[in-house]
Amino acid sequence: MQLNHAQRELTVKIVYYGPGLSGKTTNLQMVHQRTSPEVRGRLLTVETHDDRTLFFDLLPVFFSTANGFKVKVKLFTVPGQVIHNATRRIVLQGADAVAFIADSRRAAGQENNAYWKNLVENMKENNLDPAQVPIIIQYNKRDLPDTKTDAEIEETRKKGKEPVVGAIAIRGIGVLETLYTVLQSAYRSLEARAHLAKTIGLTEKEFLSQVFANMDITGTELEKLLPPRPAGART
Amino acid sequence: MRQGESVLQRRISLGEMLDTDSFTEVVKGFVELYRVGIKVFDEKGAKLADIKIGNGDFCGYVFSFPEGRRRCTATVGRVKDGPLALSHGARLPVLEPDLVPQAKGMLTVPCFTGLRYLVVPILWEGDTMGRVVFGPFMPDDLKDFPPRTLTEISEGFDVTNARPLVDKVRLAPEGTIARVMVHFGQLLQTMLFGGQKMFLTSQLHIEATLDSNRELEERNKKLEEANNHLKELDRLKSAFLATVSHELRTPLTSIIGYSEMLAEGLAGPLNGEQVDYVRTIMEKGETLLKLISSILDISQIEAGKVRLNFEPMDALELINGSLSSLRPQVQKKGVALEAKMPAKMPLVTGDRDRLRQVIVNLLTNAVKFTPRGGRVAVTLTEIQQQPDLNALGYRILVEDSGVGIPADQFDKIFNSFYQVDSSSTREYGGAGLGLAIVKSFVEGHGGVVRVASEIGHGSRFTLVLPVAPSSLQQVLITPPVTSVGPADDRF
Ligand SMILES: Nc1nc2c(ncn2[C@@H]2O[C@H](COP(=O)(O)OP(=O)(O)OP(=O)(O)O)[C@@H](O)[C@H]2O)c(=O)[nH]1
Ligand SMILES: Nc1ncnc2c1ncn2[C@@H]1O[C@H](COP(=O)(O)OP(=O)(O)OP(=O)(O)O)[C@@H](O)[C@H]1O
Ligand SMILES: [Mg+2]
Ligand SMILES: [Mg+2]
Repeated sequence: MQLNHAQRELTVKIVYYGPGLSGKTTNLQMVHQRTSPEVRGRLLTVETHDDRTLFFDLLPVFFSTANGFKVKVKLFTVPGQVIHNATRRIVLQGADAVAFIADSRRAAGQENNAYWKNLVENMKENNLDPAQVPIIIQYNKRDLPDTKTDAEIEETRKKGKEPVVGAIAIRGIGVLETLYTVLQSAYRSLEARAHLAKTIGLTEKEFLSQVFANMDITGTELEKLLPPRPAGART
Repeated sequence: MRQGESVLQRRISLGEMLDTDSFTEVVKGFVELYRVGIKVFDEKGAKLADIKIGNGDFCGYVFSFPEGRRRCTATVGRVKDGPLALSHGARLPVLEPDLVPQAKGMLTVPCFTGLRYLVVPILWEGDTMGRVVFGPFMPDDLKDFPPRTLTEISEGFDVTNARPLVDKVRLAPEGTIARVMVHFGQLLQTMLFGGQKMFLTSQLHIEATLDSNRELEERNKKLEEANNHLKELDRLKSAFLATVSHELRTPLTSIIGYSEMLAEGLAGPLNGEQVDYVRTIMEKGETLLKLISSILDISQIEAGKVRLNFEPMDALELINGSLSSLRPQVQKKGVALEAKMPAKMPLVTGDRDRLRQVIVNLLTNAVKFTPRGGRVAVTLTEIQQQPDLNALGYRILVEDSGVGIPADQFDKIFNSFYQVDSSSTREYGGAGLGLAIVKSFVEGHGGVVRVASEIGHGSRFTLVLPVAPSSLQQVLITPPVTSVGPADDRF
C-alpha cells in the first residue's frame, strides 16, 4: 500500500500468482472487459507469441472517495513459467494481497503445490509477512474434465485459512467474485494496519462498492453482496 | 533478500513514458498538418515538446514593446503554469455538442492580442500528468482586430505593420482547433501507452536480470563456503593421517627389526617351523610398513607439506636403481623384465628419491597386474622437445602385458584409494595409493603422466618429464585429484 497524504492518494496492489497457464491473464482480461473505461486504464500485457506472460500484466482501476481521496487499485499478474522466477519476485514486491490462481484439475495438484511453495519463498524474499498479506485461492478451469469436485475443494479449503473461490475464468465465471474476495481481504488487512476508516474515512463498504460501481456485475454473486445500483447505472 | 524498489512501485513521469526524439517528430508533423503551435509540459512544468508555427513574427513585434513583453510573459505563464481550472482568465471553450464529453478539462485562454490558446490536461489513469497547450491561433469570431488591449501597449504600435504579420497566424474557429486538440489527445494516449509499456518492460528486464545475477552470486558464495569447509576437513584428515602413520611406523620398524634378529638366530637357534612363522611376521610387517609409508606420503601431499628437492641427477642411474630394487619381486612372480635406454644421457634436474618412488610404483603395478609368464618393459627416451610440456624433456614408459585397465577408469585410477576392482584388493593387495603418489610427484616436476591400455593385453604408463622443472614448481607440490570435490553433475 502506498498512502500519500499530501497528494491524497491511496494505491493498493493486488498480485495474481500461480502456475503457468492457470488463467491469471484470463482473469485480468475478464475484469478489463467488465469495467467501464472511465475508471480503468488500458490492460497492459507483455506476452510472447504463444500468449505466455513475459513480464507482467497490469490493469489499473481507480476512483475517488466521498472524501475526495484518490484510490488506485493496481492488478498485476506474474509470469507463470518456471524460468521467470526473478520477475515473479519483483512483481510481487509490495503486494497488499495475493490471488493464487490454481488449476483445479486433479493432475495439477503437484504444480499448484510447487507454486504455492514458490509464492511463500518469494514473499519471504520480499519481506511480505503472510500474517499481514492475505492470500486467497481461486480454483480455475472448473469446466474441464478431471476437475476436483466441490467436496474435494471443500476438503482442501479446510487445510488452510485462505478463502477459496471456484471459477471458469474463460467464461468470466468467478472472476469478479475472486476480485471481490481478494480486495476485501486486502482492505481488512490494510484497515488493521493503517486504519483507513479513521485516517482517510474510507470504509470497507465504500471501498468495495466504489470499485465495483463501474463494473458489470450482472449474473455474478456480487449482485447479492453489493447495494443495488441506482437506475441508469452502467451494466 | 532482494533489494531496491522496482519501477513498478513508483509513479513514472511523462518524460519516462515518451521517447523525446520520436515524440518531437510526431508533434512536428501534427503542427505542420494543422498549422497550430503545440507545447507539452509535464506536471512539474518541464517542457517535453515545443513546436511553433506562424505566430513568431507577430509575437516578436509585440514583444519588442516593454508593455507588450510584460503582458505576453503573463499570458505564456498563465497557459504554462496557471491552474487547470476556470479561473485566472480561462473560460470554457466553444464546442460543438458532440465534442463536449471528449474535451473534458479543456480551457480557453485568450491573449491580450486577440489571439487565443487552448489548454488541455494530460490525464493518465485518473492522474493529471501534465498539459498540452495549443496556439496561439486567430479565432474567426474575433470581430475587431486589433483590440484595445493590444493598441494601448505603446504609442509606437503600428496596426499596418502588425496586420501582415498576424495574417501568418492560423485563422480558425475555436471549435475546429478544439477538435484537432482532441485528436492530438487520443494520439498522445496511444503514445503514452506504448511508451509506458516499453519503459516498464525494459526496466523490468534489467531488474530481473540483476536479480537473477544476485541470486546466482549468493548461491555461488554458499557453494564456495561449503567447498572451503570440505577442503578444511580434508586438510584435517590428512594431518591426522600423517600423525597416525608416523606413530605407527616407529613401533613397526622395531617389530620388523626384532623379527629379523630372531630369524637370523641372533637370539638363539630356531627350528624350521619357528623360522617360517617369524619370516611371515617380517613379510607382513614390511607390507604394512609400505602401506603406512604410502599413506604418510599421500597425506603429506594432500596437506600440501611435500617439498621436492631438485638437484642434478642421472636418469640412467634412476632407471637402473629402480629395476634392481624390483628384481626379487620379478623373479618370484616369474615375468620377463626388459629395459631400453640410450647409452649415454646428459644430467637432468629432479628429485631423485621421489622419481625413483614413481618408477618403482609403476613397475610394482606392472608386475602385480601381469600374470606369470608375462612381460614388463621400461623405456627411457633421449632428451628432445616435448610438445606436451612445450619444453625440452624425456619420457619414461612402463609397459606390461597384463590384465589392462578399462578406458573409463583412466582418470579415476589416479585418485587416492581408488582401485578398478575393489574386490581385487584381496587378490593383488594394495591400498590404491601408488598412482596418486605418482601423479603428484610427476606434476610436481612440471611433468605429465598418461595411461593407455587394452583389457587383457596390457597397459602402458607414459611419464613426460622436463629436463629441468620451471622455478615456479620448485617448492610445494599441488595436491592430487582427490575423491572430494564438486559433484560431477553440477552443470
Ligand atoms: N477450459 C478453460 N481454459 C481456461 C480457463 N481459464 C483460462 N483458460 C485457458 O488457459 C490458457 C492459459 O491462460 P492464461 O490466462 O494465459 O494463463 P496464465 O496463468 O496467464 O499463464 P502464464 O502467463 O504463462 O503464467 C488459455 O488458453 C486460456 O484460454 C478456464 O476457466 N477454463
Ligand atoms: N599396470 C596396471 N595394469 C592393470 N591395472 C592397473 C595397473 N596399474 C594400476 N592399475 C589399476 O589401478 C589401480 C590403482 O593403482 P595404484 O597403484 O594407485 O593402487 P594399488 O596398486 O591398487 O595399491 P598401492 O599402489 O597403494 O599398493 C589398481 O588397483 C589397478 O586396478
Ligand atoms: Mg499470463
Ligand atoms: Mg600400486
